[in-house]
Amino acid sequence: MDARTIIESLTSEFPEAISESEVESEIRVRAYVAAGKAKETCQYLKDSLQFDHLCSVCGVDYPKRGEIEVVYHIASYEHPVVLTLKAKLPRDSPEIESVVPVYWNANWYERETYELYGVMFKNHPNLKPLVLPEEMLGEWPLRKDYKGFPNTTARNLV
Amino acid sequence: MEEMLELNEMIIHLGPQHPMQPGPFRLNLKLKGETVLDAEVELGFIHKGIEKILENKTYLQGIPIVDRICYLVALTNEECFVGCVEKLAGIEVPERAQYIRVIIEELSRLQSHLLGMGEYGEFIGFVSMFMYTIKEREDILTLIDMVTGARVTHSYLKFGGVRDDLPEGFKEKTLPVLNKLKKVIDDYEEMFATDSIYRERAVGVGVLTADVAKNLGVSGPPLRATGVPFDIRKNEPYLVYEDLDFKVCTETAGDCAARVQVRLNEIRESIYIIEQCLDRIPDGPIFPVNSPYGRRTPVMRVPPGEVFHRVEDPRGEMGMYMVSDGTDKPHRVKVRGPYYPTLQALPPLIIGTTVADVAAISGSMDGCTSEADR
Repeated sequence: MDARTIIESLTSEFPEAISESEVESEIRVRAYVAAGKAKETCQYLKDSLQFDHLCSVCGVDYPKRGEIEVVYHIASYEHPVVLTLKAKLPRDSPEIESVVPVYWNANWYERETYELYGVMFKNHPNLKPLVLPEEMLGEWPLRKDYKGFPNTTARNLV
Repeated sequence: MEEMLELNEMIIHLGPQHPMQPGPFRLNLKLKGETVLDAEVELGFIHKGIEKILENKTYLQGIPIVDRICYLVALTNEECFVGCVEKLAGIEVPERAQYIRVIIEELSRLQSHLLGMGEYGEFIGFVSMFMYTIKEREDILTLIDMVTGARVTHSYLKFGGVRDDLPEGFKEKTLPVLNKLKKVIDDYEEMFATDSIYRERAVGVGVLTADVAKNLGVSGPPLRATGVPFDIRKNEPYLVYEDLDFKVCTETAGDCAARVQVRLNEIRESIYIIEQCLDRIPDGPIFPVNSPYGRRTPVMRVPPGEVFHRVEDPRGEMGMYMVSDGTDKPHRVKVRGPYYPTLQALPPLIIGTTVADVAAISGSMDGCTSEADR
């Protein structure tokens, strides 16, 4: 299983959802996926292309573009190719389908992305804060405009 | 865990501070008699916000920060972070520096496995085991100290090389330690094989099968104990691991004893790797020649891009995802630690077992909550 066949198989299966796919090297592939199709794409990757190991799910904030990207790193126990699958979400109301039914270990990664970025994962079995205290929910600390908690910068004290 | 309890059922909280835990996390157990009916892990007691700190530090300032993700495996954390920047900036590491990194990281693997086994012994009531392994670990730490100048948090790797060359007489001091360790490992193996109490507590306890382990997403010794030969050093070689001769240690039983056996065998393999490296290590520079990168790295501006780099940590697959926007600070660093999915897989493993086995199963994973919390 090499990088090029994976990308070809993926684009032929989801011609509308997959865009800007790129073969970075022999073992690294990148692609953007439409936010609505993320779960179906993961299911296809797991069933047909041996991508049975989810490395991580994380968010990246791009305030200038007004977007939050949810990034899935999907690897395999069989072959060394790692696929970086990215979904663009609007920054004011990020929402995406949860991939927990496909990859069991996405559970904590999605909880963490939720509390740090405010990305809502629809149909997640237990979407509540993982590493942060309850009262910090809504601060979204890993977004670029986070100012600290409690916010004690001079302007807020006056 | 919120619903009404039935007669004879109760909830007990193990932690956040408990002798069986590798760090503070809370384990809520719903019990009926001795049997665990339900379990839930709560994290966040030592959340340090390392990912956010890294966004506000320059690349060079990030190296001491990634040390603190987990003090036991500081060198592999550094390797992962430095590897990301090297891939982004296209820095070639000279061969001698690569060999030094392999030597020092394998030494770090030895001490991590030794402490992991000792802690496991302690958790199941075999406290002398901890004394045995901590003594051997001290010798290894002395060797690492000789090279890096620190025992646990080193800041030794630099972009493009290592901070200092190996000291005079390093090989002569290392080989006796390794030879002694080989004998000691055989003793441990015999001790584990003949100790009836240990076998009662470890054999057939906490069994993971290959399919379940893959589904739960674990990596490292817990996965290899189920027979899956998944090792980043082989699957996706970094540094000079391609040229070195070593095998991936697997067992088939998948229980606590198999995990300990995998660690014992990996110690042997690591010793063999270090011996090969000490024989083969070439002379030469430890930083790229004719390049701005050196012992005094300038304020770096890394070209825009993104990279996902994986290395094999003593506990499994360590990965970092770095996004650079062309400035002197990373836009985003995601740390994907190996113990995070393993800790997540703890509740399904302990449901149905007894309370006494919870400590045995949790300890056999060789955990580090500091890394799961980051």
